[in-house]
Amino acid sequence: MSLKNVLAVALGILSAIGGFVDIGDLVFNTQAGATFGFQLLWVVVIGVVGIIVYSEMCGRVAAVAKRPVFDLVRERTGFGAGLATLVASQVVNLMTCAAEIGGVAICLQLLSGLPYRVLIPLAVAGLAVASWVLPFEWIERVFGYLGLCLLVFAVAAIKLHPDWGKVAHGFVPGSHSGGSLLVYLYFVVGLLGAAMTPYEVYFYSSGAVEDGWGPKELNLNKVTATIGYGLGGFLSFSLMIVAAVLFLPQGIDPQFLGTPALTAEHAFGKVGLLLALVGILFAVGGAAIETCFSGAYNTAQFFGWRWGKRERPAAASRFTLAWLVIFALAFLVVITGYDPVKLTEYSVIFSVVALPLTYLPILLIANDHTYMGSKTNGKLANVFGVVYFVVIIAIAIAAIPLMLVTHGGQG
Amino acid sequence: MSAPKLPVTALGIAGALLLAASGCGSSTLSPKALSQESKSLKSLAAEGALLARDAEAGKSTRIFRRVHSEYLYKTASKSSTSLSTAKAAPGAAQELQKLTKLAGELSADLKHLGDASNEELPGLARDLENVAGKLE
Repeated sequence: MSLKNVLAVALGILSAIGGFVDIGDLVFNTQAGATFGFQLLWVVVIGVVGIIVYSEMCGRVAAVAKRPVFDLVRERTGFGAGLATLVASQVVNLMTCAAEIGGVAICLQLLSGLPYRVLIPLAVAGLAVASWVLPFEWIERVFGYLGLCLLVFAVAAIKLHPDWGKVAHGFVPGSHSGGSLLVYLYFVVGLLGAAMTPYEVYFYSSGAVEDGWGPKELNLNKVTATIGYGLGGFLSFSLMIVAAVLFLPQGIDPQFLGTPALTAEHAFGKVGLLLALVGILFAVGGAAIETCFSGAYNTAQFFGWRWGKRERPAAASRFTLAWLVIFALAFLVVITGYDPVKLTEYSVIFSVVALPLTYLPILLIANDHTYMGSKTNGKLANVFGVVYFVVIIAIAIAAIPLMLVTHGGQG
Repeated sequence: MSAPKLPVTALGIAGALLLAASGCGSSTLSPKALSQESKSLKSLAAEGALLARDAEAGKSTRIFRRVHSEYLYKTASKSSTSLSTAKAAPGAAQELQKLTKLAGELSADLKHLGDASNEELPGLARDLENVAGKLE
């Protein structure tokens, strides 16, 4: 591999790490840490492996069939099931996009002191301009690299001196303490949902087509999915660890987007606070664009429209209109004043309900010789794929009842 | 299929939230509800104290302190208002009275936290820690 290729892979991995965390991860990981300490770290591992398994499949399908997953969903599953998948994914995308935009506005408020309601339209306008002006790879890079400021949480996790023995113990599933079993299960579902959000695989798949991946990029796909998401998972661990160390002993239940930043502030003062806020700003900003584009990709691919960020906006006018409409709808949701953190909790739980509709077609297509030729799933990919699909079905059934019974994890 | 259930569930939850948010009339709080409220207030007090201690140590920015403490204050204030109009279930009147008083103190402290001078921060942090200590 040439130096240029190594650099390209490294840059891709860095942007994947920085782009891994979104508002759902921020909310659920800190709340889980503040409620159950380190006891739910093992769930993050399961979630990260799940997103690696299915993203690798999506990337492979895109590289071999030269078509993104949603393009094939309608063809493979038919109009009815395809439409159900589209509706479910769009509802979740819109809720998530709205929550991320609210998160951007809150971060801007914490940095500037300007009123939240003034910052919402500014946030939407800024994100829309960035989406319009920046080429696809630059959107990934700008938001991914600046999202790396979140690494301050990883360093804070070390600086706050957790009991590493207990941290290690948290990677082993077992009995729990600190809350009821139902609340524990609610967080298991939420953490898995936050790690395996549907928009991530749709965006990854469409991004692979945008980047012009072919069979030569199959190894790049494996490396990016495995290392990028794997290392991104460390940010989730860090958020849970800092919350466990600082919030759990004091009985702090993180209900605000600024609360996780207190951990970096406590560890490193103003520099830590600013790094945390900038990291959160770009992580949720990048996720807002990803959810918005994911919605536009899905719609365009389902209806067979011309699509892609590489196309001139006028050439792919319906695709362009689709992402502009999604931004506008998300703006209308946020401007109502509904709490973005609450919205995040609902969007993550609803995304769990929609997970089977997202992941089953991927599993089917990745096993279909018509599309994949000799690059269908191997035994290992299928074992993981099927096991994860069973897990996904279980959590999809349990998600809403658990949310209602536990009052959104409040017990 | 799960998809058609989504809007129905979302509407149901939205309806329930609207009802809860409307806050029309006073509610009767059970011991369990009071315990939940106490936990929530403790969390706000502890978070406020943490912010005050960090600010006292020069670790926070003025803007972050002002904006974040306002979020804490608004939540505590909403809680204080609903507690002051709530009725207690039999046997929980004393607890409700205690919580209402603490919620009021907490709201006042959090409101002050946003624009407190450096000299006032240590006292404010102690007050917030005291309130947190009195809550379960």
